[in-house]
Amino acid sequence: MFRVSLKVTGAQGQGVNSVGEMCAKGLKRAGYCLFGYREYMSLIKGGHSSFQLDVSDEQIESSETQVDILVCFNHHGLERNALEVKKGGVIIHQTPQWKFPYDVQKSLDDRGVTIVNLPSEEILQKIKAKPMLGNVLITSVVWSILGRSADDLKDLVREQFGHKGEKVLEMNFQCIHEGFDFVQGMKNEELRMKNAVQLPEPDVRWKDHLLITGSQAMGLGLLHAGCRMYCGYPMTPSSPLLSFIAEMQNETGMVIKQAEDEITAAQMMSGAMLMGTRAATGTSGGGFDLMTETLSLNAIIENPSVFVLAQRPGPATGLPTWTGQGDLLLAIGSAHGEFARCVVSVSDAQDCFDVMPDAFNIAEKYQTPVVVMTDKQIAEALYTQSSYDQKKAKLDRGLLVTDPKALKKLKSADRYDPAAKDGISPRWLPGAEAATYCAQGDEHSGDGSVDETAKNAVEQMEKRMKKMQAMEREMPEPTIFTMDSSSGKAVSCQLSAVSDIDLLVVSWGSNKGPILDVLKAESRKLKAIYLHYTYLWPMKTERLKRLMSKAKRTVLVECNHGGQLGQVIQLVGGPAIEDKILKYDGRPFFVDELCSKLIAHSS
Amino acid sequence: MSIPLDSSSAKKMHAYHCANQCTWCDGCGDYGIWTAVKRSLVESGIAPHQVLLCYDVGCHGNTSDKLLGYRFHGLHGRVIPFAAGAKLANPKIPVLAFGGDGASFSEGVGHLVHGIRSNYPMTFVLYNNGNYGLTTGQASSLTQQGQPMNSSPNGIPEHTLNAMDFVFSLEPTFVARAWSGDIAMMTRVLKAAIAHRGFAFVDILQACPTYNYFATHEMLLERCYDANTEGHKPVDAAKARHLAMDTSKRIACGILYQCEDIPSFYERLEPRRGRRTTVAEEVEIVDTGKWERMFQ
Repeated sequence: MFRVSLKVTGAQGQGVNSVGEMCAKGLKRAGYCLFGYREYMSLIKGGHSSFQLDVSDEQIESSETQVDILVCFNHHGLERNALEVKKGGVIIHQTPQWKFPYDVQKSLDDRGVTIVNLPSEEILQKIKAKPMLGNVLITSVVWSILGRSADDLKDLVREQFGHKGEKVLEMNFQCIHEGFDFVQGMKNEELRMKNAVQLPEPDVRWKDHLLITGSQAMGLGLLHAGCRMYCGYPMTPSSPLLSFIAEMQNETGMVIKQAEDEITAAQMMSGAMLMGTRAATGTSGGGFDLMTETLSLNAIIENPSVFVLAQRPGPATGLPTWTGQGDLLLAIGSAHGEFARCVVSVSDAQDCFDVMPDAFNIAEKYQTPVVVMTDKQIAEALYTQSSYDQKKAKLDRGLLVTDPKALKKLKSADRYDPAAKDGISPRWLPGAEAATYCAQGDEHSGDGSVDETAKNAVEQMEKRMKKMQAMEREMPEPTIFTMDSSSGKAVSCQLSAVSDIDLLVVSWGSNKGPILDVLKAESRKLKAIYLHYTYLWPMKTERLKRLMSKAKRTVLVECNHGGQLGQVIQLVGGPAIEDKILKYDGRPFFVDELCSKLIAHSS
Repeated sequence: MSIPLDSSSAKKMHAYHCANQCTWCDGCGDYGIWTAVKRSLVESGIAPHQVLLCYDVGCHGNTSDKLLGYRFHGLHGRVIPFAAGAKLANPKIPVLAFGGDGASFSEGVGHLVHGIRSNYPMTFVLYNNGNYGLTTGQASSLTQQGQPMNSSPNGIPEHTLNAMDFVFSLEPTFVARAWSGDIAMMTRVLKAAIAHRGFAFVDILQACPTYNYFATHEMLLERCYDANTEGHKPVDAAKARHLAMDTSKRIACGILYQCEDIPSFYERLEPRRGRRTTVAEEVEIVDTGKWERMFQ
């Protein structure tokens, strides 16, 4: 697989993201698949952040540890990231008279890395441009090195800044000319860099794709699902979802509430669901801890509810702007009492959209809480995504009664009827002309009257837990991905299509991207398949067991310390996966890093 | 989906009658409030299927299965946000939330602050008995300082929160007070609260014959008076605050302050402007293709 990567580093607020995003947009339109990865610190200005863009003509959803082009807004990038540049790569920086320590310089020389000092300040002064335009200047240098045309970049700039007037636009264009002139006029020894970074042949299929973050995709997914209310409290990495749908509210008509705390957000969502709309709340681990009492409440009042849990590494504030998968056991085991719940996880921009209608359907069908897991990597990564299928999702509101005639026939005691099939009793809404009931947080009989008798306690517990069995029966097994070595693509397949394999990889969430990228790239060398868990609770292990018997080796891949998916599999009596690749440094798996680990584990 | 709202069945209090028997202590203020709530709903022309009554946890929460209507009985301290979320989802349904002084001034005090500040279009009724009744008589933040209670045998060291001073500091749009022995007064203020545009705060002082020995039925009977019949007009927040706070000799009841000029939270929601449906009626699979352009 041919891939090129570009990493822009700098202090937060310097424009790292805007350079990255502009390059991403331009390259996607030119016919490339991109994957954008952000690293930043929990502060607003300063610090050290980066935006990495991996580019290919084929589908990619991962980053490399090594890059072809490194752009350094300030000297921190030169200090920290210089050795991440590949053989024959380029470093573009704007720190005058910069000198690497001897050993670093030697290593860069040995690898034939070209170092370019762009005198941004000088150029900007010469054309009397504001320092802010340095972003456009840098972008144009990168753009020129990638062999793209100045006109393409101008189109992008016009799109972004056109509303600011011709004068501003003209200044931007001048910066673009200066950037291109700079690359053209470089000294002889730097000339070789012009050929150092070559993009693969473009593929037109990417042109119509969307460039979208997981949070934006999830926002569209919520809208698609008919979610009409969202209540949240800001917390990375769930905040971008709140920001996105809040920004959209005037167009969508959604009720958006930034609540005073996570308890409020969860309670408001629950109240709104009881009233009959589709509402969601989102948070990260610490906020989810606060929401768990409400999760338990929704279980006993049998109220559909949707909680988005965007993971970052803990405990406590932990690594607030980094990624991890340490909250699976939290999602499954949190909140007091025993009750039926569903836990699902998204893995990329496709899932972020597809899973949301499903989450609401499950919540309404089983009248119980659903936790949708994501993580910082998915929430903030930039995906190249095909246009979404608007026909696939169906609205399933379960046993919601709205027909006036049917409403008239209801008795109060039908609401929590312990004899209901699969424990799922009819639900109807305040305002409906029918017998009324109490959504009762105390143990209750059919109509929601408090009933503490032993007989009733048993009946109602069993009623609610029957929903777990029904869910277990109806939830899909994990998805099998196999590599088609002729096309180099990952395709999902049935169990029966799998013959003997060398390596079975088992994982969930954002690891899917790098795992599939590795298996695709190594499909000739590595006879491997990937088993991906979207539905994590109720946990299903039958397919896993069958696959493990066909595989020489099985390896669990997770971004946590305990191998929590493996623990959950064993919790329900599934097989133990001894071989594990675990990572808990706040970073996602990088494709080259995971490749060498998987190869090591395959023999 | 439409939620039919037909008021023809709202005729008599009997519509709210429930077969479950009351379990409160003899002489508990909850009986009076229970009656007044039903009466105010009936007199407001609201049938049981047209209302959502949300109860916090505490003795008053045991009302949740002692009357009809769509009801909710939730977590301790959290009734306001649940009720607010419900109201925003369907503003056509009157929503009343009920909570005790423990839930509202300790566990969930933040929700009271933001409920008033947000001016959600709902009614909040404070069951104010000055202690934690259901957990057998611990002090709340409205219990008198120095009063020996369960778990504070030497009297509570903290000073007592002046509930009315606190509430008025949040710039409420409706504040009323009544006491549990005066059903006519409670009915009058509850009806006004239900009809109020925004967040209506109704403080009901109630007797707790089992644990509250300092603010007894007799004491309330003696001190509470109808300020409105004595000429108080609920238009001036500063005057109302002063009147409400000074309970040293007499306790002013009635509608103490009301301002209808301030839009409710829902009315301020720009995305909902001009929409006739509620979000409860708008659930459908939405084609999001039109928004994909911004990602091209």
